[in-house]
Amino acid sequence: MPDPVIVDRVTKRFAGHTAVDSLSLSVPSGIIYGLLGPNGAGKTTTLRMIMDIYEPDSGSVRLFDTVAGGRDHSARIGYLPEERGLYQKMRVLDVLVFLAEAKGVSRRAAREKALEWLEKLGLSDWRLRKVSDLSKGMQQKVAFISTVLHDPELCIFDEPFSGLDPVNSQVLRDTVLDYRRRGKTVLFSTHIMEHAEKLCDRLCIIARGKKLIDGSLAEVKRTHGGQHVIVGFNGSQGSAQQIFADKKLVAKIQDFGQQAELELAPGADPQLILKGLVDSGARLAHFELASPSLHKIFVDLVGPEAATAAATGGGSNGGDARA
Amino acid sequence: MHKVWAIIRREFVERVRTKWFWISAVLGPVLFAGIIVFQIVQSLGGAVRNIAVVDSSSAGLGQRVVEALEASGSFRATLVPSHAGVMDSLKDVVESKRLNGFLIVTNDLVETGRAEYQASNLGMQTIETLQRTLGRLVVKERLEQKGVNPTVVDWAQIRIALDQKKISRGKTVAENAAQSFFTAYMMAILLFMAILLYGVNVMSSVLEEKTNRIIEVLVSSVRPFQLMLGKILGAGSVSFFQFVIWGVSARVLLSLRGPIARALGADPASVQLTLPHIPLTTLAVFIAFFLGGFLLYSAMFAAVGAMSSNEQEARQAQQPVTYLLMISYLSILGLTNDPSSTFARTLSLIPFTTPIATPVRWTAGSMPTWELVASLVILAVGIVAVTWVAARIYRVGILMTGKRPNLKELMRWVRA
Repeated sequence: MPDPVIVDRVTKRFAGHTAVDSLSLSVPSGIIYGLLGPNGAGKTTTLRMIMDIYEPDSGSVRLFDTVAGGRDHSARIGYLPEERGLYQKMRVLDVLVFLAEAKGVSRRAAREKALEWLEKLGLSDWRLRKVSDLSKGMQQKVAFISTVLHDPELCIFDEPFSGLDPVNSQVLRDTVLDYRRRGKTVLFSTHIMEHAEKLCDRLCIIARGKKLIDGSLAEVKRTHGGQHVIVGFNGSQGSAQQIFADKKLVAKIQDFGQQAELELAPGADPQLILKGLVDSGARLAHFELASPSLHKIFVDLVGPEAATAAATGGGSNGGDARA
Repeated sequence: MHKVWAIIRREFVERVRTKWFWISAVLGPVLFAGIIVFQIVQSLGGAVRNIAVVDSSSAGLGQRVVEALEASGSFRATLVPSHAGVMDSLKDVVESKRLNGFLIVTNDLVETGRAEYQASNLGMQTIETLQRTLGRLVVKERLEQKGVNPTVVDWAQIRIALDQKKISRGKTVAENAAQSFFTAYMMAILLFMAILLYGVNVMSSVLEEKTNRIIEVLVSSVRPFQLMLGKILGAGSVSFFQFVIWGVSARVLLSLRGPIARALGADPASVQLTLPHIPLTTLAVFIAFFLGGFLLYSAMFAAVGAMSSNEQEARQAQQPVTYLLMISYLSILGLTNDPSSTFARTLSLIPFTTPIATPVRWTAGSMPTWELVASLVILAVGIVAVTWVAARIYRVGILMTGKRPNLKELMRWVRA
């Protein structure tokens, strides 16, 4: 079976800049796929092109092995944009039924499913209330229900974790994992690497509209960055900094204070570092041979300034939507 | 099609659920009932007036005036001999509401046709009856002075009943000039209000989806054109529903005017109010041009909503569209006064003014059928062209945030 989402060399230009530049990616069936990048990297634009909201200037998108865009497959796709809007003056149940109908679900089925989901997420008592009466968290849940109510084969979430409290984040994570268990495909974008690292089977990192790397999580880790060591201190660090500064042993370091992630120099033996640290009088809490964290790879790839922008959440997502 | 239908239904249900819809739905019939009651009460008031006749004449003219007034059936008259201070005491009686007014009769009445009437309320109908009655009496008096036999005079005086009928498209219609003017005028006002109100509704609905960002989910499952179409048709059906409510309640109230009159103590036969006779073809023209005008303007309003990002911007951007509609509104008087002037013909051949101008001309009864057909064709072409342009602006605009586009950018959207 061909991959449900195949993006082939798409380019999208807006007045003044190129948002997505000849990007190709392919999302296999039944996995969780992460589209990673700092703000302004072109994630939202890419997802919008997949959903047929924007037309690419060049290149093509194939969904479920057809040239038809996301709109024609709306009954098979659940799309949750970054800015989750709802009709404030409508009743909760009516909004859900309407949005499902807009995707081509029959009215009766939509009603049934909506009630089921409201029950599941503890919103049953609110079904006849106006959306504006709901708290922000509850509105998030309603928006989420509207995305998955029709039991789509493919879910596309744009920054799904932004603005979610820990409880709702957990609900979302559980649902995403449940989807994979049931053989469905999830494609989501994020700039928070911790989420991606925990969830993704495959990923693609983009910056300034271009693909930097893609593949399975293990592949990405293998191809990028060598062997890593994570050192945790328990109080005194002794003269550990001298060891870290030794270019024969350590190529790069990310120092977090009580913990540090070291990228070993080519051919360096981690045993030598351990010995050096013990000799230096540092009190070690742990010493671990590890593959590089996704965050590390991300920072290396997109550059520290872009990564900082990603972490602080600046940038101009979806600001200029001129087609 | 299922998707468009869902959008139409949402638009309809949500609007009908608002209290504004029901306030205006109820306000129409209430206003209409008010008009009926007002007319009945007026006819009641005009029934019999209690007046005094102050006789300052030399030849007992006052007595004959009293007899003539009594004979008219509209007055109960009492003769009061003239004496010093009579006016002041009568004014007190009028003030205390025991008398509607008093008439002062002198020899001048027959000689120069002058008399004086003072009353608390100078109703048109009362004055007219008074003038007519006095006029007949004076003619009789003067003829008798010249020696004409009174019975001959009575025989000679005859009232003319002018039966007014309008020729409309070669057929005679039982309708007078005032009525057809009134009908055309009401139609124009209704069309203007409905197109404006419901067009603006489409605009705010588009804007709502844009500002609360639900638009992105919608256009990921529905084509922008389907969305715009559903919105326009939904808002249109709401206004149509509103008209139906008004029409039905007006009909019901009209059929109840007899009982209402009796309840108010008036003779049902004396209640003159009827709806002006509206032939079916006129109704069809009205509906066709209302729908056409609504489609034309709401497409423009939808585009305005799509290119704005908040209420203030939208209010500014809608002005050109509103002005376009205002042209026909401001021309209503000109249209009804001379429906076959070059001005009127021109207005009914421009797509933006024809939705109001053509029904007015047609109702006023001076429009050849071929001109009606031409107007319809022009309107249809206008709708297609305007909708095409509006849909392109809409498609780009709904996903736009930030500053409003200028004319140059708009042109680019349309060409894109």
